[in-house]
Amino acid sequence: MVSHCKEHVLAARAAGQPVVGIMCEYAPRELIIAAGAIPVCLCGGDPDTIPAAEAHLPSNLCPLVKSTYGYLIEKANPFLEMANLVVAETTCDGKKKMFELMSQARSTYVLALPHREDDANALDQWTLELNRFKCFLEERYRVEITTSKLREAVVLLNRERGLRRALATLMKLPEPPLTGRQLLDFKSIVSGMASDLDQYERALAMWQLGASTVPETRTAHKANRNGAGGVGARPVRVLLTGVPLVHGAERVMEIIESHGALVVCQENCTGLKPILDDVQQDAPDLMRALAEKYYRLPCSVKTPNRRRLRLLRQLADEYRAECVIELTWQACLTYAVEAFQVRRLVENELGLPYLRIETDYSPADSARIATRVEAIAETVRARGRSRE
Amino acid sequence: MIFAGIDAGSRSIKVVLYDAALDSPLCRGIADQGVDQARLAESLFDRTLESARLRRDQVMRVVATGYGRSAVRFADTTFTEITCHARGVWRTAPDTRTIIEIGGQDSKVIWLEANGRVRDFAMNDRCAAGTGRFLEVVASRLGVDLATLGELGNSSTRPAFISSTCVVFAETEIVGLLADGTDSSDLAAGVQKAIASRVSVMVLRAVVPPVCFTGGVALLPTMRRALQQEVGCEVRGVPHPQYTGALGAALLAADAR
Repeated sequence: MVSHCKEHVLAARAAGQPVVGIMCEYAPRELIIAAGAIPVCLCGGDPDTIPAAEAHLPSNLCPLVKSTYGYLIEKANPFLEMANLVVAETTCDGKKKMFELMSQARSTYVLALPHREDDANALDQWTLELNRFKCFLEERYRVEITTSKLREAVVLLNRERGLRRALATLMKLPEPPLTGRQLLDFKSIVSGMASDLDQYERALAMWQLGASTVPETRTAHKANRNGAGGVGARPVRVLLTGVPLVHGAERVMEIIESHGALVVCQENCTGLKPILDDVQQDAPDLMRALAEKYYRLPCSVKTPNRRRLRLLRQLADEYRAECVIELTWQACLTYAVEAFQVRRLVENELGLPYLRIETDYSPADSARIATRVEAIAETVRARGRSRE
Repeated sequence: MIFAGIDAGSRSIKVVLYDAALDSPLCRGIADQGVDQARLAESLFDRTLESARLRRDQVMRVVATGYGRSAVRFADTTFTEITCHARGVWRTAPDTRTIIEIGGQDSKVIWLEANGRVRDFAMNDRCAAGTGRFLEVVASRLGVDLATLGELGNSSTRPAFISSTCVVFAETEIVGLLADGTDSSDLAAGVQKAIASRVSVMVLRAVVPPVCFTGGVALLPTMRRALQQEVGCEVRGVPHPQYTGALGAALLAADAR
């Protein structure tokens, strides 16, 4: 996916379109597209850029923040190198303070996200914040973001979200046609790219057909390749929650899926969380509708974050999860603290086994993570047997 | 009806042969872990069979567990240490609800349901400070073997306080304590207290008695007492604690009949 993204961004830049880096699902990409720019995700997933970052940043900081910043120092992310502007959000203090350092080398714009959940004042404030951002983009790129341009961008990204949702829905099948890792590959780092949308449609057509007729497409079952817990054992259905698995940081998902489990659902920012809601495209006040969509995102920075617990309840049921695995990057305070409530929900209310994995980008603990994943898969199977 | 369990741990490999007809372990074998893990496991397996006067074709099924389980190529299947320890304890002490397992390079807490199934578990993450490795480092610093280290701790009146949460730094700390003239019995007691306190952090999420102690570190009776003090309730020993994982693996092999 990365190579065709790079070609696309290079071509667009050559044609005069500015590249705008984003770091979070709260960034309203519709506004960036409506301003004639290309939104590109800059979240770093490479452990190799972290040592360079630690020359400026403390080592006890989230690997995603460090990796992103390390790319800047090493000039190693072609998208960050092409970016004319980086949009930042107040979703985490580590990021927020890192952006202050980044702003010495790049133009940055910080969106102040209100943290209180389900609060009318907070939504008003967020709408105001997006309006200011709209004015900023208009001035910076000397364009007018008309309602019709914005609506066009909204329609485009609603379509993208809809297609990605439909792909994710395939995982509800008793024998999903793809693995969670394969599904993750469909998450593009550039939003609204026509070639991506075409690919989603082709994949959907193939798998929706395959699911009903061709048993050979049941690739997901090959996930359990090491035969642990009994030869030919069916992979255990996992709901994965917590932090996002950005490009390059897919290690934990790969470990899960090669040790007896299949990630049927990702409730995180590289999974379903940001694509479940669309922007109401026929809303009379489109800016308000845009603000509403993004404000509802159940990130752990929200307080309280009841919406995430409701979402987990719903997804565990819809995707028939047999256990929940929560991933937290080291030093990600908000997700780490919220894990207490997630565990309580999963164990006491949903009655499912829960495993929390806290790690960073280094592979040092891969074998230990694998053992824990295998053990939770064995626990699920043993429970199934004792129920039979 | 002979079944075999092989626990390829980080420090040693353990084999248990189990006779399902007699419902009894037949023979145990142990060897140091090393570079060529596959060959070491295989030769230990053969030696153990020989001492039980058995041939390989008389073994119905082999289950491997432990850190090196995937290197045991002649195993029919693998299970994690967590499932195997739970199964082994379920046989030897079926009323157990919490297992504390301390091995060569990791420590685990396993919570069991009343029917012996695993309810939940916790493992040390990226650190060896709550493991047998810590004991080894200290024993080698004091120039004694592990059994002696345990006994040394018995005569301590004031266990040394070792605060480092990393084995490497703890070694430095111990060098410093020795230089300050700290008694070696106090160091021996201190390191056992330190391990017990690291492990108890995992247990304290929910102490459900009866608590049972397995793994190679459970061979030191003083470690069990140190754990009791930290956890705040009785911690029971099991016979042959080092073989609990291998026994569980053999039982799981027999369960698959």
